[in-house]
Amino acid sequence: MNNRSGLLSTLSAILLFLVLAAFSIVLVVNNGAVQRFRLLGTARDLQAWGWTRTDNIRTFFHYRTENQRLVEENLQLQQQLARYQTADRLLDSVAVRVEPDFSYLSANIIKNTVDRQHNHLIIDRGRKDGIEPGLGVVTGRGVIGIVDAVGDHYAYVISILGAGQTVSAKLAESGAFGPMTWPGTRPDRMILREIPVHIQVNPGDTVVTSGYSIIYPPDIPLGSVVSTQVSQGASKELAIALFEDFRALHSVYVVRNNQQPEIEALYEQAP
Amino acid sequence: MSRLRSILFFILVFLLQLAISNYLNLGPWITISLIPFLIVQIPLQRSPHVVMLAAFGLGLLLDWLSAGVLGLNAFAAVMAAAPRRILYRLLINDEQDSTWIPLIRTAGIDKYLKYLLILTAIYLAAFILLDCMSVRPFWFILVKFVASTLVSTLLGLLLAFAFQRRS
Repeated sequence: MNNRSGLLSTLSAILLFLVLAAFSIVLVVNNGAVQRFRLLGTARDLQAWGWTRTDNIRTFFHYRTENQRLVEENLQLQQQLARYQTADRLLDSVAVRVEPDFSYLSANIIKNTVDRQHNHLIIDRGRKDGIEPGLGVVTGRGVIGIVDAVGDHYAYVISILGAGQTVSAKLAESGAFGPMTWPGTRPDRMILREIPVHIQVNPGDTVVTSGYSIIYPPDIPLGSVVSTQVSQGASKELAIALFEDFRALHSVYVVRNNQQPEIEALYEQAP
Repeated sequence: MSRLRSILFFILVFLLQLAISNYLNLGPWITISLIPFLIVQIPLQRSPHVVMLAAFGLGLLLDWLSAGVLGLNAFAAVMAAAPRRILYRLLINDEQDSTWIPLIRTAGIDKYLKYLLILTAIYLAAFILLDCMSVRPFWFILVKFVASTLVSTLLGLLLAFAFQRRS
């Protein structure tokens, strides 16, 4: 009798183990970010409220660095604006009306991880600010990630520092482009792959967004080349030092491609 | 040692784990986990079913509260909880402990350390392999596993000393 109940207990323990392990794997495979935001919206809002408070304290000690960064970014934007104003005057002279391709919305980061294999950020803009899943998140010094899930006041952003995340990038000088991925070891390094071997690359060369993506605008500076190596004799792999310091990130821009619906409609029409 | 004190300590260690997961940034090379230590802290007379369910719940709560990949810690916790009783019988099997939790004082530091180290290693092996699944090189996984296991076990041991010091 005892043997039988012991056997039953062992079998039920094994069954429970298999059920719990399988359920966990299903959760991991589905990743759960979107579900968490939709099903647990109120609880997540409370959590985000807590993160906002702790982030306020952290931000207080980073004002000087953040100000310096904003001054530099402001300078770059003013230079860009000057160029656009010149172009605008020329366009006016030939009576062509041009709508901007991308629009931007600033956001503050209230939570940011850089030490995991799948990193993420939470920003203080949500559905009520017009944020939608699929929008890009950038700064003046790099690409940060893609909005994955949206609550009323907050959004969950998948960082480019994550397994499986790719940014289409090109060398500013030669225009040679390829996918840039994170090797998972340092938050300030990425790898730019598939650069043809005949392309001359030097340490210090700048890498920017290619523009071959409907998410990110072209020519956002991403980083500079640290080293190169030939991969399997077919192409070059470049180690890139990122300009943006993900560990000291406080504010970002959510970017919307205004032409995205038209481009997606074209994809749908394509056979 | 009072049951209330043990429960409070358990909650405190879980809050410490939450703080580590949310605010301590040690880079991609080290993952500190105190969940294996908490699994050790679950009273020994509890059945494997209860231990596995408790471990699963702890892992899932940690995944959710640290906004990580849902299921990752839950999976690793179940992997570590399942062989807990077998490991205890093989490594410690101390009759004095059999009503509550393993104690360094009665089991001996070498046996306790071995027990905690193996449970932590099982937990982190499951966690790191699932997290880095086929996207990271073997050497990275190995270095991360060894570093994380050593640091997590050491921290668990320090917490065990702190908890058992006055008992």
